[in-house]
Amino acid sequence: MKFDILIAGVGGQGVVLASRLLATAAIDAGYHVATAETIGMAQREGSVTSHVRIGDEVCGSLIPAGNADLIIGLEPAEAARNIHFLSKDGSIVVNEHAVIPSASANNTEYIPEQVIEFLKENCQETINVDFTQLAKEAGTYRAANVAMLAAAAGADLLPFDPDELWSVLEKMVPEKYRELNRKAFDMSLEKVSDIRRA
Amino acid sequence: MTAKRILMGNEAIAFGAMKAGLQVASGYPGTPSTEVMETIASHASKYGIYAEWATNEKVALETAVGAAYSGANTLVTMKQVGLNVASDPLMSLSYIGVKGSLVILVSDDPGPHSSQTEQDTRAFGHFSNIPVLDPSTPQEAYDMAKLAFKLSHEMEIPVILRTTTRVSHGCADVVTEDIEQADRDIEGYVKEPRWTIFPKLTAQRHPWLEDLQVRLSDRFSDLFSENTFNSITKGNSRIGIASSGVSSLYAKEAIKDHSETLSHFKVATIYPFPEKAALEFLSDITDLIVIEELDPYLEEQFLQLIGKHHLNVNVYGKKKGHFPVSGEYDVDAVIDGVNSSLQAMNTDFPLLNHSTPVVARENIPPLPVRPPTFCAGCMHRTVFYAFKKAAAKLKKENGKGTVFSGDIGCYTLGNAQPLNMVDTCLCMGAGISMAAGLSHTQQYQDGNYAKQVAFIGDSTFFHSGIAAMISAVYNNADITLAVLDNRTTAMTGHQPHPGIGLTAMGKPTKAIDIAEVLRSCGVELVETIGADDLGECINMAKKAIEYEGPSAVVFKGKCVGITKATGQYVIDEDKCTGCNFCVSQLGCPAIFSMSSGIPQIQDNCTGCSLCAQVCPSDAIVLREVLQ
Repeated sequence: MKFDILIAGVGGQGVVLASRLLATAAIDAGYHVATAETIGMAQREGSVTSHVRIGDEVCGSLIPAGNADLIIGLEPAEAARNIHFLSKDGSIVVNEHAVIPSASANNTEYIPEQVIEFLKENCQETINVDFTQLAKEAGTYRAANVAMLAAAAGADLLPFDPDELWSVLEKMVPEKYRELNRKAFDMSLEKVSDIRRA
Repeated sequence: MTAKRILMGNEAIAFGAMKAGLQVASGYPGTPSTEVMETIASHASKYGIYAEWATNEKVALETAVGAAYSGANTLVTMKQVGLNVASDPLMSLSYIGVKGSLVILVSDDPGPHSSQTEQDTRAFGHFSNIPVLDPSTPQEAYDMAKLAFKLSHEMEIPVILRTTTRVSHGCADVVTEDIEQADRDIEGYVKEPRWTIFPKLTAQRHPWLEDLQVRLSDRFSDLFSENTFNSITKGNSRIGIASSGVSSLYAKEAIKDHSETLSHFKVATIYPFPEKAALEFLSDITDLIVIEELDPYLEEQFLQLIGKHHLNVNVYGKKKGHFPVSGEYDVDAVIDGVNSSLQAMNTDFPLLNHSTPVVARENIPPLPVRPPTFCAGCMHRTVFYAFKKAAAKLKKENGKGTVFSGDIGCYTLGNAQPLNMVDTCLCMGAGISMAAGLSHTQQYQDGNYAKQVAFIGDSTFFHSGIAAMISAVYNNADITLAVLDNRTTAMTGHQPHPGIGLTAMGKPTKAIDIAEVLRSCGVELVETIGADDLGECINMAKKAIEYEGPSAVVFKGKCVGITKATGQYVIDEDKCTGCNFCVSQLGCPAIFSMSSGIPQIQDNCTGCSLCAQVCPSDAIVLREVLQ
């Protein structure tokens, strides 16, 4: 068994926490896990990624190109930037909410809808929701990362189910934020099941 | 009892060290090494350990040496550039050796992700004659931390435990053991001539040190059969792979379909080179592919050995251009390097295959780039902008320019557009010394070139700013120092420092006042000011630059990483003229504007009000005061 997940986003969006949650859930499910995370200067509003490799064998923490079973994109452009990691039958869960770089005088004009289209054209199983808006409705935009993990688990895109994932979250999220995160988690599960039914 | 849990490599090292009986730990924060000391500090009182953040790496090492001379088990932590700072005591220490044990944790940063250099600490081992262990996984990091203490005690020398980013900052399931409250009695310092380095002692000890290298190489060869992090796997071809550190894992994955054919020499006890084990490996090999990040250290060891024993083995690595000499490796880079080597060999061995991605990297459409920048609401943005404005005013008034010397920390990001306020950056503390150097050039003394401004952070000021400032004052350098005091060591994750009044272990302590230090260093004009009012900051910057003689301003504000947002600003679209001044001047990541015109403020606004202060139309207003 091997399952490679790449999480991509912008510094401050909670990429590292998301990868810790997945890694802990993987250990609880009895697998080996190796992660590679972006910490330090590179994360100040820059592009960040976490690689999470789950499997029976110990291997390097960096996913080779074309090997990721799942990309979780906390931000559309960051998902697209890393799509070369996606394998032929991999899936994408992407947040429609864009983080626009500031002072972008010499920057490419960023049209998030076009980027989402690009992702959908290249990956049949793309789940795209404005998870930031969903998390805001649950209580804080900061819970978008948790909502996205819930969506991935709810859509059967992880090697463990939503209950197993929640039991890890329950242990790792501080008590005062637990209820709020549970709400974002449940709202996201519901959203995904609606998408699947449609 | 053993337990399996998820640990970051750095946490694993901390637990390994504590299991090995660690008693005293000292370090200076630096990515990717920082979490080792943080983990120890948070467990220190539980296990009776003393842990501290020192003011710099030289001080940290010397502190650990003192404790080790008393017979304690000691650890010192730093990043690769920190070892340069600590190299002075290190080079002498290798001659003298230690009692107790002393492990030096140094984290290298291939890539580099967060460093000024891509230097290779394995080379420092060679340079200083100090053994180096090179783990490839968090589990090995845990096990090798224990081995490092054992070796240091046994050989009476410091041992370097060297990691790279993917080991330090990777998480994995690690099997750890219970840490006992070990007997922590130590002999105490005993006066002996061996602790005082003098030329005579150095001359006596040098042959011992050289002999030790040979004994250690033999010991490391023996270790091949004693543990699992070194290994030789024999394949049935004459082609072999040698690797070290995390590259061993990339190599293993790259050649996984050929593990019965290709031999693999994985070396974790990296310096001194385990010659006997390597010779045994080479006995069946005619073509050797060496896979390692950073310097061609392993490759050079093999080339020497092959030359020394007149072996008929071809070596493929960095020296013939088959592998990159810089940057971080991964499985794909290793596949390319192995294939390049195989092609040069003229063998019928099949080339390795890459996986086929859904979209090749070159087919990804252009996307917005995100260079790292100051956080939304960061006090540094206000101060840099104030100096920019003050310098522009002065230029208008007297025609003189200003050179801004930066330093190492969050505020290095002052170089980012549109601020563009870092004209020089070299290493910790160099901003002050370089500004002083620039001020002594003839151009400047003739009065027709520039005023010199140096920026430094609070933690860096204590690290290496003080000595530089004393030297500047002593030598009559006419410089202005801006201390960006955000009340923490921000870039590495908010460690305390001597200005905070709190130790690494969370105990209250005397806080050292930076302004008072500057006054006692002889700086004539020293001011302290909050960093929230742009107008006052501009006036203060101008006053300090205009002052003839050394001047300093301590700008105080709290890092947004340790405070809550105080509010959110929004654009009043009726008032906004679309001038985009807020976007084009400040580069705050909370504000963006599409080509269509009216800027927008995103959720990450903290309410610092700088944009409202610069808006010429008063179109940026506070939306609500958050609870």
